[in-house]
Amino acid sequence: MSLDLTGRVPATTETRAFLADKSPDKRSKLIDKLLAGAEYARRMQEYFDVALMDRRADAKVARAAWEEFLRNSFAANKPYDQLVREILANDGADPKTRAAAKFFLDRDLEPTIVTRDISRLFLGRNVQCAQCHDHPLVNDYLQEHFYGIQAFLNRSFLFPNAQDAKAVIAEKAEGEVSFISVFDPKKVQKTTAPTVPGWKPIADVKADKGKEYKIAPAKDVKPIPAYSRLAQLAAAITAKENVAFGRTAANRLWAMMLGRGLVHPLDFDHSGNKPSHPELMALLADEFAQHEFDVKWLLREIALSKTYQRSSELPKQSGEMPDDRYLAAVLKPLSPEQLGYSMMQATGLTDAFRKDLAAGLSEPTLQAKLAPHLGAFLRMYGNRPGEPEDGFASTLDQTLFLKHGDHVRSLITPRPGSLVERAAKLKEPGEMADELYLTIYCRPPSDEERRDIAELLRPAANRTKALSDIAWAMLASAEFRFNH
Amino acid sequence: MKPCDYACHTGEHLVNRRLFLGGAAAGVAGFAGFTAPAAARELAAGQKRMLVIFLSGGVSQLETWDPKPNTDTGGPFRAIPTSVPGIHISELLPQAAKRMHLLTLVRGVNTAEDEHGRGANIMLTGRRAEAGIKYPEVGAVASNLLEKTNRELPGHVQITPGGGSGFSKEDAGFLGPKYASITLADGKPPADLLRPAILTSDADREREALRRKLNAKFALSRRSAQTDAYTESFEQAAKVVAKADAFDAGREDPKAADRYGRHDFGRHMLLARRLLEKGVTFVKVTHTNYDTHHENFDFHIEQLSEFDRPFSMLLDDLADRGMLQSTLVVVMSEFGRTPRINDRYGRDHWSKAWSVAMAGCGLKAGAAIGKTNANGTAVTEREVHGGHLFHTYFKALGCNPTKNFLPDGRPVPIADPKAAAISEILA
Amino acid sequence: MNAPTDPTKTRLLTELKHARPLIGCRFDPSGRYLFASAEDDAIQRFDLLTGAKTSLLGHKSWVRGLAFSPSKGTPVVPLATVQMGALGGGATSVRKPTPFTLLSGDYHGNLLWWNGVEEAPKPTRTVAAHDGWIRAVAVSTDGATAATCGNDNLVKLWSIADGRPIRTLDGHKSHVYNVAFHPGGQRLVSADLKGTIKDWDLGTGSVVRELDAKVLHKYDTGFAADIGGIRGIGFDAAGTRLVCTGITNVSNAFAGVGNPLVILFDWKDGTAKQLKPKEAFQGTGWSVGVLPSGTVIAAGGGGQGRIWFWNPDDGTNSHTVTVPANARDMALHPDGTAVALAGANGSCLLYTMTPAPAPPASPVAPAKKA
Repeated sequence: MSLDLTGRVPATTETRAFLADKSPDKRSKLIDKLLAGAEYARRMQEYFDVALMDRRADAKVARAAWEEFLRNSFAANKPYDQLVREILANDGADPKTRAAAKFFLDRDLEPTIVTRDISRLFLGRNVQCAQCHDHPLVNDYLQEHFYGIQAFLNRSFLFPNAQDAKAVIAEKAEGEVSFISVFDPKKVQKTTAPTVPGWKPIADVKADKGKEYKIAPAKDVKPIPAYSRLAQLAAAITAKENVAFGRTAANRLWAMMLGRGLVHPLDFDHSGNKPSHPELMALLADEFAQHEFDVKWLLREIALSKTYQRSSELPKQSGEMPDDRYLAAVLKPLSPEQLGYSMMQATGLTDAFRKDLAAGLSEPTLQAKLAPHLGAFLRMYGNRPGEPEDGFASTLDQTLFLKHGDHVRSLITPRPGSLVERAAKLKEPGEMADELYLTIYCRPPSDEERRDIAELLRPAANRTKALSDIAWAMLASAEFRFNH
Repeated sequence: MKPCDYACHTGEHLVNRRLFLGGAAAGVAGFAGFTAPAAARELAAGQKRMLVIFLSGGVSQLETWDPKPNTDTGGPFRAIPTSVPGIHISELLPQAAKRMHLLTLVRGVNTAEDEHGRGANIMLTGRRAEAGIKYPEVGAVASNLLEKTNRELPGHVQITPGGGSGFSKEDAGFLGPKYASITLADGKPPADLLRPAILTSDADREREALRRKLNAKFALSRRSAQTDAYTESFEQAAKVVAKADAFDAGREDPKAADRYGRHDFGRHMLLARRLLEKGVTFVKVTHTNYDTHHENFDFHIEQLSEFDRPFSMLLDDLADRGMLQSTLVVVMSEFGRTPRINDRYGRDHWSKAWSVAMAGCGLKAGAAIGKTNANGTAVTEREVHGGHLFHTYFKALGCNPTKNFLPDGRPVPIADPKAAAISEILA
Repeated sequence: MNAPTDPTKTRLLTELKHARPLIGCRFDPSGRYLFASAEDDAIQRFDLLTGAKTSLLGHKSWVRGLAFSPSKGTPVVPLATVQMGALGGGATSVRKPTPFTLLSGDYHGNLLWWNGVEEAPKPTRTVAAHDGWIRAVAVSTDGATAATCGNDNLVKLWSIADGRPIRTLDGHKSHVYNVAFHPGGQRLVSADLKGTIKDWDLGTGSVVRELDAKVLHKYDTGFAADIGGIRGIGFDAAGTRLVCTGITNVSNAFAGVGNPLVILFDWKDGTAKQLKPKEAFQGTGWSVGVLPSGTVIAAGGGGQGRIWFWNPDDGTNSHTVTVPANARDMALHPDGTAVALAGANGSCLLYTMTPAPAPPASPVAPAKKA
């Protein structure tokens, strides 16, 4: 749960304290504590940054400003629909709010990609294959859906041009989308007004001739139309009646916690791909909307549920156990951020920084220290920029990064405050085993495990080296790699 | 023997990027209880290997192996004579034409599947996808059936044009991640390949032993397709590390690099040759892209000019080294392209009458089987589909594809039991 | 002779049908004949005066390059005359046509000579001109020299009288898509797949300068292929402006998702201006020219087809005509009042820019015999 809500494994002291706590409501108290903490906001910022931006290069909006915008939004528990509106109703012109426009700007406002990603992220429909014809495999996704979304954007463009790092979004007062299906033998050219799939088209408000612009286009002048199609987008997408919005949001938050969406894959909500638990999906979507899209409320409900708290351990006599039945918890591979932060926490680097910062310790100052060390993990485990995180793959590069790479080795190397150094100072091998397990696996070792590890550590000579090797083996093991 | 099953029991609910229908991505019963039937390992003496060249997107059979010039579908290119009298191929493959005596063409392919993902699946697994079972791709099967014991190199290697392949990495299906491919993106050897001096080989061995022990314990109560893929990746990595040299095509003679061409596909084919020579059982090289709905002719000029030379050089080299009779080479796509030319000079997806080219182990060289009609719109003689081809590959390699795998004790024929090998082209 | 033209009055005059998709089309210098090449390897000659359709057989591959010698100076048969004659049904008199040579280049690299006015033309000469496609053929203003270009990255000059090669212009690094003689007679431009335009001095054979139309090219990294090329090229009559066209903004090369674009160059100083269609249109610009009024006209398509008109001074797309088929080539009638489009649906579409006529007035005076 610490991984889900703060993005890292708990510190050893936190683990020990929780295990020792005997109060019956220690779980819900911990949930509240984690949700209230600054690390929650950081974790949500990271998760949504990757979801919304797919690790694209920072070209037109600085990373720091965007992260701050997201972090502040989650710290303040901004309603999710408001957050999305701030992202979609932003032309980037006001420097105070420009960061939120990153969604558009760092996609260069490329119409095909923006259309696909709005549909995918906020409506749960990946309509990419519906650009040239009705989707060949999903009956519910039509070409007119693709262009219905694109019609919100088609009059907008980056001013002065797409290469300018300070570009803002400008808009013309005219222009229609046009599309032909490549499978249509008659090659009929069609058009559509801006439309959210399933809802009525939003007709343009026609201005009188000569009054189409507030500021007319001219050389080096950013045009502002009297009626803006783009301005209709945010409200249309987040409208309460547009159930797909709340449903997609609830599904993604569920997936963040449980490792799998009720609708799976996340981007393919359609009648041929029913949620694993349709009533639960409808309930979550409905309640989320009723609660004004309160993110902390939803995460708390999920965290308190029996489903979430169910162990991933297989019962001895298990029959059919498909993932989508949640009979045991799904083993979730750590995200690149979770992996990096957890390695740094487990090896003691994070605590060393905490100690260094002393009175100056705050979430942002700690982040500043950790960020340079996180980069290697993001590069190695993150998706390619612009591509959605797509399932788990264990690549040769990653394996060699763990086996031979400098980065991980230097994390494990003994130094003041590090795990290995701390464990080496303990008296008994059994205690060392406890420290290792509580720190890396966040659980005490079983008797057999304690014996095995103690055995390896019994020779006094080269104990530090043995501890380093054991720490490496544990960090490289499946138990650490997966959240269970 | 206690079967070790996945948590999900019914298999790997893995997201295949190509499977858009979420509900259809079903998996298979766990595989750890699987024993390869001894019968499936019947081999002719000597190590065999396989190379697949995957022309991604759907190469046009009319611009390659089965041209129909001066017809309503033929397009502007000529058909040229080859080193085998009576066999003509497209003028876009002049080098390959000179080596037709090494090739075997199958021109009557009808796979009846026009969608990229499903088409690729049929060509790579020899079957249509079915719920409840995850068939292994040809590379995993080859690696499994042809492996010697104590294999030093990974048996299943993919060379892709860039990072981020569009195909699922879980390509070993029910054979398990041991036979899943290692991908060399852009043919480059991975970073951190060599063991650093500060890590002694003893230390490496000891901590790896501990890692395995920890994973074994964890797997007793918690296991999934992903945890297995993760733990297996270390075994594969160890093999690659031990034979790091093999993965560096830069060690080949620069003259060879010139012959193959200094472009990406040329480099990749040279690396493929090197890996096969060093003992990798199966290599698949992907060339992108051929999905020419628009300007089919210009794009095929460009892509085939990249393909023709390195393909021909590799055939020459295999022949020169005496490796061609023990190496099966297959050039395939997920489907072909429509005989009808659309209004943007493009050809669209077409699986009703297309071609696959092969060479090497167990085949009749310089032969062509299967015919299409005058303008390529239908197969007229010896129609075959993915199942027949799959049988043919493994028969040619000296295996018996009618035998069974036994994932979890359940008998699953290696190749589609409704089809059989194309005996006319087997030597 | 110049009938008043008004692009906004552009209308379909007639549809000349053929069974196979068309690739290229050109009027002969008199404007009486319209030649159209098709995917059946043949060239169709439509006699606009008599209505006759003749197949020119001799190529074994597709043809796009069509050019004529002499290239200017031939008396023009105004389309208005022809309308009253053959298209109106029943020739009033059939003039003896001014002889000309047709040159056509095919995708096997062969350049063919034809006597264009013969009843059933056969090739009178065949030259293996290029290794790979001939993509365009042009004839010099004095009618003596032909220029060809193609997939061997070369431009070649030929003597039309005897087919001798005159010179090879080497320098392009990609397929050469188009070639045109400057009306002044001294210079030649050639344009390639990557958007490079070379301006050659015909006397010395060296490159005077290069013009940049690289926006009409892109290497699509997703598909690992080049898309683009200068698909159409032309000068205004005085040679003060050069126009070229193709496809830009490509987001999916293999599905042809991109937009047509025209680039207008000032010939003197080489400055470039982009002329865009006002309405979003997905497709390629296939051909471009300049009308006697100076208006820039282009045709293209992607699914359907379009004709676009631009005001060259302010770059506005003043008028657009929707065409029912992808217009894969366009020819300007020498009388400046009409254009023909090579339709992917097999039709040669003849559009006039003159308003619909009033009921027939006095009969046409018989023309002098040549």
